[in-house]
Amino acid sequence: MIKTEVKYGIKTTDKATLEKWYRLMTLGRALDDRAPNYLKQAIGWSYHAPYAGHDGIQLAIGQAFDKNTDHLFPYYRDMLTAISAGLTAEEIILNGISKATDLASAGRHMSNHFAKPEWNIHNVSSATGNHTLHAVGVGRAMSRYNHKGVAISSQGESSVSEGYVYEAINGASREKLPVIFVFQDNGYGISVPKSDQTANAKVADNFRGFKNLEFIYCNGKDVFDSMNAMETAKKYVIENQIPVIVHANCIRIHSHSNSDRHELYRDDYELNYVKEYDPLGKFRRMLLRYERFTEAELLAIEQEIKAVVKDAHKKALAAPDPDPKSIFDFVIPEAIKVEKYPDGIHQLTGEKKKLIEGLNETLKAEFRHNPDTYIWGQDMANKDKGGIFNVSKGMQQEFGVERVFNAPIAEDFILGTANGMSRFNDKIRIVVEGAEFADYFWPAMEQYIDSSHDYWRSNGAFTPNVTIRLASGGYIGGGLYHSQNIEGSLASIPGVRIVYPSFADDAAGLLRSAMRSKGMTLFLEPKALYNDPIAATPIPDDFMVPFGKARVRRTGKDLTIVTYGNTTHMSLEVAEKMQKELGISVEVIDIRSLVPLDEESILKSVKKTGKVLVVHEDKVFGGFGGEIASIITEKAFEFLDAPVKRVGSTYTPVGFNRILEKAILPNADKIFDVAVKLYQY
Amino acid sequence: MSKIAIVYSFHTQNTKKAAEMVVKKMGKNHVEKLNVEDTSAEEFMQFDTYILGSATWFEGELPNHWDEFLPSIEERDFSGKNVALFGLADQVNYPDFFGDAIGRLAEFFQVRGAKIIGHYPNKDYSFTESFALRGDKFVGVILDYENQADMAEKRIEEWVKILDKEL
Ligand SMILES: Cc1cc2nc3c(=O)[nH]c(=O)nc-3n(C[C@H](O)[C@H](O)[C@H](O)COP(=O)(O)O)c2cc1C
Ligand SMILES: Cc1ncc(C[n+]2csc(CCOP(=O)(O)OP(=O)(O)O)c2C)c(N)n1
Repeated sequence: MIKTEVKYGIKTTDKATLEKWYRLMTLGRALDDRAPNYLKQAIGWSYHAPYAGHDGIQLAIGQAFDKNTDHLFPYYRDMLTAISAGLTAEEIILNGISKATDLASAGRHMSNHFAKPEWNIHNVSSATGNHTLHAVGVGRAMSRYNHKGVAISSQGESSVSEGYVYEAINGASREKLPVIFVFQDNGYGISVPKSDQTANAKVADNFRGFKNLEFIYCNGKDVFDSMNAMETAKKYVIENQIPVIVHANCIRIHSHSNSDRHELYRDDYELNYVKEYDPLGKFRRMLLRYERFTEAELLAIEQEIKAVVKDAHKKALAAPDPDPKSIFDFVIPEAIKVEKYPDGIHQLTGEKKKLIEGLNETLKAEFRHNPDTYIWGQDMANKDKGGIFNVSKGMQQEFGVERVFNAPIAEDFILGTANGMSRFNDKIRIVVEGAEFADYFWPAMEQYIDSSHDYWRSNGAFTPNVTIRLASGGYIGGGLYHSQNIEGSLASIPGVRIVYPSFADDAAGLLRSAMRSKGMTLFLEPKALYNDPIAATPIPDDFMVPFGKARVRRTGKDLTIVTYGNTTHMSLEVAEKMQKELGISVEVIDIRSLVPLDEESILKSVKKTGKVLVVHEDKVFGGFGGEIASIITEKAFEFLDAPVKRVGSTYTPVGFNRILEKAILPNADKIFDVAVKLYQY
Repeated sequence: MSKIAIVYSFHTQNTKKAAEMVVKKMGKNHVEKLNVEDTSAEEFMQFDTYILGSATWFEGELPNHWDEFLPSIEERDFSGKNVALFGLADQVNYPDFFGDAIGRLAEFFQVRGAKIIGHYPNKDYSFTESFALRGDKFVGVILDYENQADMAEKRIEEWVKILDKEL
């Protein structure tokens, strides 16, 4: 535990500072108290989590924050934090009533999620505590770039229960990152007393065994104690380059939010004492008792603030509402323009490289090309081993441990800190091996969803520039946890490009495009093909494949197979066999990229052949093929001579015994049978 | 005979109840009551012996009335003065911070030269941690009206006897 340096006190703090604080606190409470009126008058602000009772610590967080050096991650109750950090009354109301000029999100994100991206006051999720990982990520960037600053993450005590908060603090402690984690402890998570969350009364104590981690406990209801705590914490973090937890005792004077009624679970005694312990009341009493201000002076400030709020209210009401036509803006950032290979096709012949070589060489080439590139994951690098499948072999030796490094077995942490590190500046490009196998990516879903929202939610202000590589699919006798395809589930989430190459050149070209583009790309690698000669191709050194460009791998006129990943090769084999044995001409389209999808190439082929078979390794039921089939029936029904058919896995997990695996996964025989029947329809 | 003040907040419930009991048990000793909410440093400094009463609030904190008053005497010297403490606390709901407030008050006055009198044995209480504990004794008497209301009067009596001896 660090001893708090006592710099501020009621007698020692200069009058101008006290006045500044009193103004901020009075403004904050005027807005906090007024917010519910907007809902009552049906203007907006339907979600408001009042901060009253957290006044001391929130003032202090905002005062400690320096927009020139620091990054701030406030949570939904942090209105005074935001004001104290510099947001104006008008900016607060614009967010409250979701106007187009709301700095946080232009009305896209829920009210009471205050932000100012240009000052690095970040727009955070509503998923409680999820930004702890982002603070750690940005802390990692500060450390890598020798930046003197701190990342401040703020949350309630109950949300510390989330597993990812433990992952975040573990990472900050292991990597010694300049992060302040503030826990604002008001005793409740909505109606649930904190004793239902964890055994220790002060949840900060749960982290006592962590190394390289310090603690400050303060009275979050007291301005001076909170100011001293935050200043001490910031100074300590910068000097010692290790994280600090600030645990601030607060009270919640009101209900959790406007949809909660705290009378249902708090008795009169409690409702009364939380009012008596109002931090603003305490500060005001002290200003008078110690004769720092006269009653008349305080009343004058209060009057002035009333006028400020009135003026802000008027301006905010007059601000424009968001335009419904704007909903498609900022879903995924524009990808890099591929000038030399506009269709993602090359004519190089000669030496063939395996898919794994294509990936490895492209990673290295991009790391040489851009010094602000990083890669991490589990089993990423240890001597001659580089990645669970050796895709990143040799990278740590060449680029060093600062850029190529192992992560703990914590997939949400792997992705969440990538998102966070991206926030430091937009030159940075990160590749993560999201999990050792795609099958283990599920723990990262929370960060995946959240990261998918960032660009849209921030109205284009921030996008994580991250490529998530995952070794996917079966055919290796891997069973339930080493065979999964997850793209069918993930394609329904907007905001992320999804690619699944089946040849070495496409893998290299798509990876280069992903690493040079802004935004997130989910890069799925058919691990069964890493070393398979069937997937080997020549690869131009500068090859790039634009997103949303399918590749016709075989032309034909009688039937179209639309496919990707492992089944591209099976489909090509089937096409060859049908031609040879039955004289049927089959066109095989490898879509390469699921999101965005090259509808045009698919529809063009359908119009030519009139018969379509959609093939993928993932389950038929709920698989991405359903989407392709629907698009075809919707947009090219009149060209079809038969129903769109699908081949894929059974609606079961993948069994371990090869007999079971074979019964479950698609193969050339199964594709052949369906294709022939479809031709004969 | 030294001038004695009993200082607490007049707006409390259990602290006030205990303070009145203390005054009663002090009997012939004249004890002046000061309300910590509105006393001044000048008034406070006139005494030689203090009996200070405080509940613990919010997991180990001093109540506002003490927190707001202490800065006014933070530069004063209490050498040669006695401080006796009675605390209000709840060992069942707050076993990790049992009676912490009087531990904090003791520390405040001790570093400013005061002598803490009336240490009270840690006997028949059940808790896990207390900032008020020094060895096997508390810095003063701790009364738990929530869980041991019937023991309060006896504890005060015993404590006043200890005080009498030390004064
Ligand atoms: C919100 C709250 C927090 C409390 N925290 C503590 C504590 O940390 N330690 C303790 O011993 N008692 C604690 N108590 C118990 C009080 O000290 C006890 O109820 C006392 O009798 C109150 O005295 P009063 O009525 O004079 O305020 C707490 C009570 C409340 C309501
Ligand atoms: C991941 C997640 N789970 C649940 C919720 C619903 N929820 C919103 S606020 C809240 C309580 C959080 O309590 P605490 O962290 O103590 O902060 P407080 O609201 O008390 O300031 C919960 C459970 C959520 N927003 N996100």
